[in-house]
Amino acid sequence: MSVLELQNIIKNYPDGQNVNEVLKNVSFHVEQGEFAAIIGPSGAGKSTLLTIMGALLSPSSGTVLLNNQDISHLSKKKQTEIRLNQIGFIFQNSDLIPYLKITEQLQFIQKISAKEPLNAKKLLQQLGLDHRLNSYPNALSGGEKQRVAIARAFINQPDLILADEPTASLDSKRGREVVKIIQKNVHQQNKAAVMVTHDERVLDLVDTIWQIEDGKLKKIKNH
Amino acid sequence: MYLTLKELRHDKLKFSALGLIIFLIVFLVLFITGLANGLANDSGSAIKETPAKTFILQKGSQARLNRSNLTEQDWQKFHSQYHNDAAKLSVAQMTIQKANNADKKTDITYFILDRSSFLAPTALKSQTDNHVYVSRKLEAEGYKKDDIFKDSSSGNTFKIAGFVNNESYSHAPVIYLNTHQAQNILPTSKQFNAIALKQKLAKNSKYQVISQQTLINNIPGYSTEQSSLYLMIGFLYLISLFVLAVFFYIINLQKISDFGTLKALGTKTSYLVQHVLTEMGLLSGIAILISFGITYLIKIKMPASMPFSLTLPTLLATGLLFLFIALLSALLSLIKVLKIDPINAIGGNN
Ligand SMILES: Nc1ncnc2c1ncn2[C@@H]1O[C@H](COP(=O)(O)OP(=O)(O)OP(=O)(O)O)[C@@H](O)[C@H]1O
Ligand SMILES: [Mg+2]
Repeated sequence: MSVLELQNIIKNYPDGQNVNEVLKNVSFHVEQGEFAAIIGPSGAGKSTLLTIMGALLSPSSGTVLLNNQDISHLSKKKQTEIRLNQIGFIFQNSDLIPYLKITEQLQFIQKISAKEPLNAKKLLQQLGLDHRLNSYPNALSGGEKQRVAIARAFINQPDLILADEPTASLDSKRGREVVKIIQKNVHQQNKAAVMVTHDERVLDLVDTIWQIEDGKLKKIKNH
Repeated sequence: MYLTLKELRHDKLKFSALGLIIFLIVFLVLFITGLANGLANDSGSAIKETPAKTFILQKGSQARLNRSNLTEQDWQKFHSQYHNDAAKLSVAQMTIQKANNADKKTDITYFILDRSSFLAPTALKSQTDNHVYVSRKLEAEGYKKDDIFKDSSSGNTFKIAGFVNNESYSHAPVIYLNTHQAQNILPTSKQFNAIALKQKLAKNSKYQVISQQTLINNIPGYSTEQSSLYLMIGFLYLISLFVLAVFFYIINLQKISDFGTLKALGTKTSYLVQHVLTEMGLLSGIAILISFGITYLIKIKMPASMPFSLTLPTLLATGLLFLFIALLSALLSLIKVLKIDPINAIGGNN
């Protein structure tokens, strides 16, 4: 069973007199334990697609099934709830909260969620951040920040992990490490994950690859 | 609360500066309020602290005691109806000097009353011969108990039998005289200025009937002082509303991308609203408490010649009003926070 399934998604943006058809009838699915990558040229609609998957944006038409529930046209309030409890985000710039210490970044998510809490410290230690637990984000390197962001995405045990160019601000060595960590956690914890990336050198770490071009999405590498 | 405390801890400097600004504004408001109240007391406390609710003046006297003249016949009318709930009152603004020092003169106000009338402070009941009770404000002028002073125009001398509270009228300390003592000072002592009544009375076609507050409002200088001070206070509240709104807004503006991330991660908007309100409320609350403390110190240290008065209810009411203003400002600054689209967190747009 797919954790996430997109059926015939169309997304239009108004563009002056015309409409800019960014996604033209896109379908997609990702299973438990599967790490999928989406690649494509700049402006192709990768981020748009990811925001639709992440209940941040409603498609113009089509269905988004997350654990068999249609989330494509929920209220803002319901969307927020879904994001909190069922989806873990990893952003390009890690986007940590500047005034929270590293452990508190995770604690906060556990505070606002009703889910059974995991051991935040243990998770951070597994990601090699033992010595950083009481630091503020501004004292961390880019790679360390991104590892914290990964921990934050996993802490609430979501079914789906979404990452938008998580390696964009890192050099290739660090970038590869970060993707490896995501891969390891996805497989170990049997989650579904979707990563948008420009970096072709990490594609050997993912299970499936999708390419988006001219608003169309096609699978170019199978499991 | 979790986010609030962590943020206050992390950005101590920023929030201390904001707290300092709030403190300064609240302190200024409290100080001017205290001054306004002090001046009001200085102007009218001798009237305000009596139990009189209504004053009967001569028709056409424009609510001014010194323009009103009533006669014994007028008195009989009211006395027969209200008995001891009516009292004669004359007010005379004069000058006194120390018996042995002609250079130092002090402006005072004589309150001329019947010794037994309800207007008279209790101490006055025992006032005999040339012994008089005077407002404690005279102490600041160097007068002590048992000092002898001279009425500058008539040359009569009196001995200070004791001090009553800080009663004053039109910024001058009050000296209480009974009708008998006043005879040598005021030639027309058969006449008097007004009749005070304990009751509320609406109208009487033959006289001008006014409330206690109306009388105080018409004490020379009272209304101008009060209205200009209260205008200042009003503007201070208005200015603080906008200044704080702008400060809060700028502070929230700096955090827009954090708010976007928090929303994307699943934080409810209501949680963020609560976070901002708690933050600003806490900050203002502390600033208000500190200004309470400083104002209290100032109140103690203030010289007696400088009128300053702030009662606990006024203090608390000012604090609450200010807290309300601060929260209102925070709400105004929140408009932006409500509109933040969590979508901005994706795509590296921030
Ligand atoms: N809010 C919006 N309003 C109008 N047009 C938009 C909006 N967001 C995106 N677009 C348009 O949609 C198209 C796809 O944008 P998107 O950000 O999804 O591209 P992308 O594949 O993520 O590009 P990149 O690799 O540069 O991040 C672009 O042409 C963009 O101009
Ligand atoms: Mg993008």
